[in-house]
Amino acid sequence: MTDLQPIAMDHASLLRESKRLDPAATRSKVRIALLSDAATQQFVPLLRTLFHRHGVHADLYEGPFDGIQLEALNPNSGLYRFQPDFIVMLNSIQALRAAFSQRNGDASAFIEERTRGIVEVWDTIQQHTTATLVQSTFAMPYERYFGNFDQKVPSSFYSVAAALNACIGQQVRSRAGVLINDVESIASWVGRREWFDDRFWDIAKSFCALPHMPLVAKNIVDIVMASRGRVVKCVVLDLDNTLWGGVIGDDGVDGIRLSAHGDGEAFYRLQAYLKELRNRGILLAVCSKNEMAAAVLPFDKHPDMLLQRSDITVFIANWIDKAENIRKIHDVLNIGFDSMVFLDDNPFERNLVRCLLPDVIVPELPEDPADYVRAISELNLFETTSFSGEDLKRAELYRVEADRREAQAAYASAEDFLQSLDMRIVVSRFDPFHLPRIAQLIQRSNQFNLTTHRYTEAECDALMNNPNVLPLYAKLSDRLGDHGLIGLIVMEPRGDELVIVDWLMSCRVLARGVEQYLMNLVVAEARQRNLTNVRGQYIRTAKNQMVEGFFSQFGFVQTGGDANRADWLLDCSTYQARETFISPAGELAATVHP
Amino acid sequence: MVDTWERMQVVFRDTFDEDSLQLRPDMTAADVEAWDSLTHINLIVDIEREFKVRFTTAEVTGLKTVGDLAALVDKKRSAAS
Repeated sequence: MTDLQPIAMDHASLLRESKRLDPAATRSKVRIALLSDAATQQFVPLLRTLFHRHGVHADLYEGPFDGIQLEALNPNSGLYRFQPDFIVMLNSIQALRAAFSQRNGDASAFIEERTRGIVEVWDTIQQHTTATLVQSTFAMPYERYFGNFDQKVPSSFYSVAAALNACIGQQVRSRAGVLINDVESIASWVGRREWFDDRFWDIAKSFCALPHMPLVAKNIVDIVMASRGRVVKCVVLDLDNTLWGGVIGDDGVDGIRLSAHGDGEAFYRLQAYLKELRNRGILLAVCSKNEMAAAVLPFDKHPDMLLQRSDITVFIANWIDKAENIRKIHDVLNIGFDSMVFLDDNPFERNLVRCLLPDVIVPELPEDPADYVRAISELNLFETTSFSGEDLKRAELYRVEADRREAQAAYASAEDFLQSLDMRIVVSRFDPFHLPRIAQLIQRSNQFNLTTHRYTEAECDALMNNPNVLPLYAKLSDRLGDHGLIGLIVMEPRGDELVIVDWLMSCRVLARGVEQYLMNLVVAEARQRNLTNVRGQYIRTAKNQMVEGFFSQFGFVQTGGDANRADWLLDCSTYQARETFISPAGELAATVHP
Repeated sequence: MVDTWERMQVVFRDTFDEDSLQLRPDMTAADVEAWDSLTHINLIVDIEREFKVRFTTAEVTGLKTVGDLAALVDKKRSAAS
């Protein structure tokens, strides 16, 4: 939330703030290595400050100037000794320009050689570490050699830079553990004329004008925070003067301003933007001070209403205060307040929500609706580090869930209801096909998460291939719909114990008996391996209080630790299998292999 | 110009994060602890923004004393007005 207050983002303020950071005021740490063919000294304090604003202490390693390849290729380099969580590679267009002017072969050979160089660095680094890589794109050059004709000549420097960016984009798509820091996107947003200051490249090898450097630092912070689970899952929308102009209760369907062209196009544009977010898997909810009958009118009757009622996962229209309603939406969706964004044109409502629900992200909206999309997009609120088929289905899943809750009311007891669901589960060892979703669940699960280790996709890959570890995922479906991949357990036999290293589940499927089913399976696994005990650990975070008593409910006994880090042990011989209404899904029944 | 010196002093104090810094015409980088090649660039950017002027690369690297800087700022300001 803090980063959305009108807090200074200018270079000088960030620099001043960097001298007063208090590591004791941070809640977590991250180790980041910076490799660049430009100078990074000016950049480091900005990163430190922006991380600090998120409560994260950034431990930074700066590789030697222009030492990207050197550091990557040498297994004893400072880079590897530092053991970073993230490795940020900043490739400057200035260095590329210098190399291009000294090329030996033709432009296409140059592109090929440069792409190979970049990819080789990734591959080499990934052989040595499981750190997440963050590769920059090239800011497009400002000079033109052919004028407009540059685009038609593949060997122009302009075309070469564009081709390299395209190659980088192509290469990262098929690679786990490499993310993009899209410097070009920021540079073009600022404008190349402003972006570059060649004086400071010449004097100090600064890759852009100092006033714009904070934007690059913010990019990196956004990426790191997203891969540590800080992602937006839902946008809560006001209606009047946000989704359309005017007040539906007063103006009626014919009176509100909303149009694909001309007057009302600003609102149409915002709806188009939200529709794309929804298509991407971000949930939309409505929270409006209106009569329900009036609030739904435009959805049902207005010809230019781009958002459909089916796009809205939770629709609340009443006269209760908005913080209360957002709390309700939060309860229904079972997601954290800090993964919700609230959009409202009314400053009073924005401040009320900021005040009562400080974790909810409440962007300032500009006075002119024409600027809404630009202002929201500029904040880069929807950064993510993964995108899977499951994202696309998420809104549908939540809708099915709402139906399920309705169905629940019709049954006399919870047991009757669960039985009627005909739940089917698949439990299987991690496999390449499911890795993106596995990594995503690991990054996002906060509440039902016993240890909250945030493995990267590359680390999940390593677990998958480690024969000494038993990394399992669970997929659940029932009569009403498919929940997809909803749980992960990582176990490791040690001595006469089976150790539960990680156990996390999506909150969508709580209170169905999934955890009971899985614990039965864990104990059965231990017995089959002739292990006498199952060991577990609970590591407290700000959000996982829900599972504090998880182990004790299954008869585990606490053997050590404290309230923040408790060790639990189960004697397998005392365990009675729990009753559930879940059965293994047909042909994949016996897919757990040691 | 009348206010150049005063405004420069404010910029210097901000840039070098030293509230009691007193500018003297003969002052050089050696006299200010935080003034090194890195913060010199910050100083130039901050001065440029304050006075809406632009220095050439040679000016940025060639400046010796605070007095020189003030004279240069004055020259550029009067040329602009």
